[in-house]
Amino acid sequence: MRISSVVLTAAMVAFSIQMATAQSIEEKAAICAGCHGENGKPVSPEIPVIWGQKEGYLYLQLRDLKRGDRKNEIMSGIAAGLEKSDMQELAKYFSEKPWTNLQQKSADAATASQAQTVASSAQCEGCHLSGYLGDSTIPRIAGQSEAYMLKTMNEFRSGARANNAWMVTLLKSYSDSDIAALSKYIAGL
Amino acid sequence: MTSYKTGKWLVGAAALIASIAVISTSASAAEEIKNATKFGNMNTVTQDLLNRAGGDGNNFLHTNGDYTQSRYFPNKQINVGNVSKLRPAWVFQTEVKDTMETSPIVVNGVMYVTTAFDHVYALDARTGEELWHYKQKLGPITTYCCGPNNRGVAVYEDMVYLATLDAKLVALDAKTGKQVWETQVADPELGYSETMAPTAVKGKILVGTNGGEYGIRGFVKAFDAKTGKNLWTFNTVPESSVGVWATNDATGRDMHRDIAAEKAALAKIGDPYKTLGGGVWQNPAVDLETNRIYFVVGNPSPDLDGSLRPGDNLYTDSLVSVDLETGKYVCHFQYIAHDVWDLDAVSPPAIVNAAGKDGKPMKAVIHGGKTGHIYVHDAKDCSLIRFSEAMVPQENMWVLPTKDGARMLPGANGGVEWSPLATNPALGLAYAINLHQPMTYHVESSAYPAGKLWLGGAFKIIPTEEQWGNVTAVDYNTGKIKWQVKTQQPMIGGILATAGGLVFTGESNGQFEAFDAETGAALWKFQAGAGVNAPPSSYTVDGKQYVVVAAGGNAQVDSKRGNSIIAFTAD
Repeated sequence: MRISSVVLTAAMVAFSIQMATAQSIEEKAAICAGCHGENGKPVSPEIPVIWGQKEGYLYLQLRDLKRGDRKNEIMSGIAAGLEKSDMQELAKYFSEKPWTNLQQKSADAATASQAQTVASSAQCEGCHLSGYLGDSTIPRIAGQSEAYMLKTMNEFRSGARANNAWMVTLLKSYSDSDIAALSKYIAGL
Repeated sequence: MTSYKTGKWLVGAAALIASIAVISTSASAAEEIKNATKFGNMNTVTQDLLNRAGGDGNNFLHTNGDYTQSRYFPNKQINVGNVSKLRPAWVFQTEVKDTMETSPIVVNGVMYVTTAFDHVYALDARTGEELWHYKQKLGPITTYCCGPNNRGVAVYEDMVYLATLDAKLVALDAKTGKQVWETQVADPELGYSETMAPTAVKGKILVGTNGGEYGIRGFVKAFDAKTGKNLWTFNTVPESSVGVWATNDATGRDMHRDIAAEKAALAKIGDPYKTLGGGVWQNPAVDLETNRIYFVVGNPSPDLDGSLRPGDNLYTDSLVSVDLETGKYVCHFQYIAHDVWDLDAVSPPAIVNAAGKDGKPMKAVIHGGKTGHIYVHDAKDCSLIRFSEAMVPQENMWVLPTKDGARMLPGANGGVEWSPLATNPALGLAYAINLHQPMTYHVESSAYPAGKLWLGGAFKIIPTEEQWGNVTAVDYNTGKIKWQVKTQQPMIGGILATAGGLVFTGESNGQFEAFDAETGAALWKFQAGAGVNAPPSSYTVDGKQYVVVAAGGNAQVDSKRGNSIIAFTAD
């Protein structure tokens, strides 16, 4: 635990320095590729796809990470060194990349049915829109990494991710099984 | 408006290139025939034309028919006797296959419709042929609840006006679709967005704002039609929003407010007006005689958590009237003080001639509430004359939201959502479409999240309970329900009444239907293939009456999406 924290802190500092010295958008974006993947495929399932993600959403997440409204051991440090114009530029850059297909399997019929019942009750498509493709400040979640979605939904439920009160309230009222079904189903779309 | 290719252009072309003069001349003749109506070529939507829209059986010039918002079309060529012969004259497919709430506007044979994500199309109303297509380039930040909707355009003189998801007002050249000007109405990063059709009147373009779910401070603004300059702003939440500590709703039912706790909160946190919400989702009715406008104001922010916003939360959940020239307050009536259920006021009001308390006819303003009542007000002072019988089941009102959820009917979408009413003045009836969606109301306090969705809890559909809708005709002179037709699914979209003794409305399951205005008898239906969740319009061109509606589904009730504008005739 202690070692991992040290490693993370070191990585965070290194990334922050790199980000501060990077000049062009390509240089800045290259730093992101360390985790989010050089070709858009993240290096770990718990790291989200950001290629092809919505521009407004990416900007707001960077803004919230800088403000401290959303916390992440690596990203908080990186965002701290970004100006608003950097965030806007990065958000635009990644939103214009093609979405990365992670080739995740479709959910089985029982899981899909459970997830659809939850999604209907929570009116998920009211915000994430038809096909869960998102728009502007609402993220695309169709085809997002299952492990990341499970992690982030659980962070909403625990309050660890506190930059969207609505999602906190909404997701808290569903069971572990419901959340797992939603993650699997939407990841497989 | 119809002269999108002018004589001048054609004459110029002929003069420049002699070799194609014959072709041009022949094209010119064809265009002239195509554009001609028995009323001639009207290039400009004058104020006079807009004023007389209620009696204009050819055009459909306002989102809700005319300035009174009657949604009553005066042509009876399509009527109870021949509606069974109604068939599609043409179908136009838009580029965007997503939620459609547009009210088609028709000016002398040219139709203007909008789609999700703020596209505008001008179409030949006879054939559905595309004349031009405008796509608003949206900024990176849009914050809208309930889908990327747009409810249509306003027309004035030689321009078409669009309000956008990124909170801009845009003026387009009606002939070409080219942008003339755009102005920022408010900051989308703070939760402001636009989905309503603007209203054009006397050189002004009026718009409200969405954002009651994002902690905005709502408004109605007037802009100069020619330049886009802001002329006045009426804040729907005054700096003193506390009010009179009303304990009962408009119908006299106890809302279970803890006034002592609210007063203590007020002393501690002060007036919450800066983030109190109060969006205006729909068009105002305009009284040309008194130069007043009437509109309804939506819910307070955060929707379900009253602890952060002590007081009546004026003028949320209210009918409000202001002066058209100055934007100064005239009167208001609040339906639900300190609303914690989002059962707010969204459906646009209409001005009618209704029986007063003494039975004598008077100028009245009616509004269909999410509560399921139609409210009838005195236009002079906004006071309540009567309210109708409930059009949907009401149970457990007004139980307070809890952490684990309290069941109450209606659910948070209504009753009557944003869907406009229609009226038939001869019958004294108002027609409303309703939802029945059982929900539980949950409260969970959270701090203002700076422009993000801020509901202070959640309302959740109960998946095990049946949902349905209805079409209801209410006698606004008595408040009694005249007839009611149950529908398979909750109703959202709009309704149109015509002098042909008909009402037209659509359902989420794709059915577009005509009912007998007097009895509710189902006379005709058409399966549109996608949710019909938009208000119909009607128009007449070359002596032929059409009924037109969008079938694109709806994000809020998640009905099947499509991309069609369908025009019907009875020949």
